Amino acid sequence: MADIDITSQTIDGMGPHGTKVGLLRVLGPAHVWALGVGIVLVGEYMGWNFAVGKGGAYAALIACWFAGILYSCVAMIDSEVTSTVASAGGQYTQAKHIIGPLMAFNVGLYLVFAYTMLEAANAITAGYLFFVVAQMTGHAGDLDQRPFIILVIMFLAWLNYRGVLATLTFNLVITAIAFCAILILFLSTSGILGGGIMEHTALFEGHELPYGWIGVLAAMHFGLWYYLGIEGTTQAAEEVRSPARALPFGTLAGIMTLLIAATLTWYVCSGVLPWEYLGDGVNGSVAPLFDTARLSGSNGLVWLLGFGTLFATLASANGCINDASRAWFAMGRDKYLPGWFGAVHPQYRTPYRAIVFLVPIALIFALGAPLDQVITFSILSGLLGYTFMPLNIILFRRKWPLETIKRGYEHPFHPIPAITLLTLCGVTFFAVFLGYGTQLVAMIGFYIVVSLWFHFWRYRFVNRGAQFTMPWPKPQGY
Amino acid sequence: MDLWNYLEYAAWGISALLGLHMLVDWLKTDSSYSEDVLTSSREGELEAMAEEHRR
Amino acid sequence: MAHYTPPKQGKTSQLFDVLVLVVLTFGALFVPLWMGMAGAAKSVATPDPNPTWETLGQTPAQAAKYEALGYDPASAHDLILARFDYSFSIGALLTMIVVIVLYYVLILRFSEVEYREVISEKFGRE
Repeated sequence: MADIDITSQTIDGMGPHGTKVGLLRVLGPAHVWALGVGIVLVGEYMGWNFAVGKGGAYAALIACWFAGILYSCVAMIDSEVTSTVASAGGQYTQAKHIIGPLMAFNVGLYLVFAYTMLEAANAITAGYLFFVVAQMTGHAGDLDQRPFIILVIMFLAWLNYRGVLATLTFNLVITAIAFCAILILFLSTSGILGGGIMEHTALFEGHELPYGWIGVLAAMHFGLWYYLGIEGTTQAAEEVRSPARALPFGTLAGIMTLLIAATLTWYVCSGVLPWEYLGDGVNGSVAPLFDTARLSGSNGLVWLLGFGTLFATLASANGCINDASRAWFAMGRDKYLPGWFGAVHPQYRTPYRAIVFLVPIALIFALGAPLDQVITFSILSGLLGYTFMPLNIILFRRKWPLETIKRGYEHPFHPIPAITLLTLCGVTFFAVFLGYGTQLVAMIGFYIVVSLWFHFWRYRFVNRGAQFTMPWPKPQGY
Repeated sequence: MDLWNYLEYAAWGISALLGLHMLVDWLKTDSSYSEDVLTSSREGELEAMAEEHRR
Repeated sequence: MAHYTPPKQGKTSQLFDVLVLVVLTFGALFVPLWMGMAGAAKSVATPDPNPTWETLGQTPAQAAKYEALGYDPASAHDLILARFDYSFSIGALLTMIVVIVLYYVLILRFSEVEYREVISEKFGRE
């Protein structure tokens, strides 16, 4: 055995329980913000506009705000639980301590699938961007998108492999640029700086709610896309210097950023692009913010938003690799998955086997499946996860009332956020059912089969008492 | 052949290099450290440390 | 209660478990695709043989935007007139509700059984 490189002066690495090589605690609240917002912001650059197609521009705005409420509940609930359960795996570890092993296994899979699919969708979008830019710069013939898709996934996986601090610092920079691009587009097209080009009244005339109110319900499906992934901040818990403070701070700052970005995006795009064009993300507006910039007539804005779109997809794919590998790693560490995955790289201190293993999976999805299918799989996994959260917080407060465990953050008005969240999840299930009922059932069928597989086969390899690692008192009622 | 054709080849090439680098490093790491060390990470070490401090 | 000691899992068995998961995943994603049941496509209910911006229901301001984007009434025809079909059967809706509820009941029940075991091993019986 070679000598073990543990240079840490503080608590990371060598710890009790026999940990010789652990994940490195190096991140601050800004990194948490970058991880959360970075994953999501791509949703503003592409994808949310399907909601416009589902029910018109007003429906998309209503969906944007209701989904905003849904995610504010998610962020608050998540912040409370995670400020006490600070460990890689995020919601997976929460479920394991609060509801039980099978729920945790399912939640872990939701996370891995939601993020890996989102990563694939991002790589597809990035490949398409290269294709468009090649055409705009006069490339003869069609560009082969595959090498660029593969390069995006490979480069980001490599970055993740080499260390979490560089990975998330990179994310912080490109996320900040992409967010500023939205602000600048808003300022320069809305009439605040220079002449405005917004024509909401004229564009909405005669098309207020083209499908009536059922269109508003249907729009909720893609309304999630404005914010999908913000819950991923918790995956960094084991690598943040002071999780009890930084995680709630980063998460809540993240959801506020997104509420602003989502509303501004809706405002500028719907004020410039007619709804039929805006709402068709396949044949019409693939990248709505970019299209808005094109109609503004300013070359500078076109370039800015072009780079914004590319950076947003990269930041998102990057965060997804980070989160999916943490969840996969955490499950391996507990033997929910083969223990081989629970390894940490002795120098880079990353879950390197999980990162490498998920690369080919992401590549197969990115190269072999259609985009809307991939997005739907991702949204559904996310939605199942949000449905779990209200159950989680209700049981958490019941088994450990406020005075029994000190929380880094307590969310207000319990249980109203939990009930709101559950109701909105129900509405969204119905919205998904309107368009993708078959996938919904196929997907739940999949989760039922793997649940049975886990309960009757896989769980035998798991240590029973030892997987409960938090220093909490015995839960009430047991 | 224009710039974009070269970029295509470059993208294939860089992807292969990055993939190879991860693969080589992975195999090297696996062979130079024992499995016990690599998979020694345990959940909740911070919490357990805090507990031990309090005692 | 007796302490449960899990068996050590061999390399081959670990590999097999991973394969099972991967195969199931691809199944869930690709089977609906192969069976042609995936996705909700838009379609044009009543095509317009000689479309103008007026017959497509566009005001002059809206038509100007389409022209700025490079469309004429003929090329914008499908984009503008295609609509989703939101009709559904109560039976399908009930099936979905039952499947979702069953799924959550299943995992919550099994989780509870496993959780009690975890708690009693961790904290012991009082």
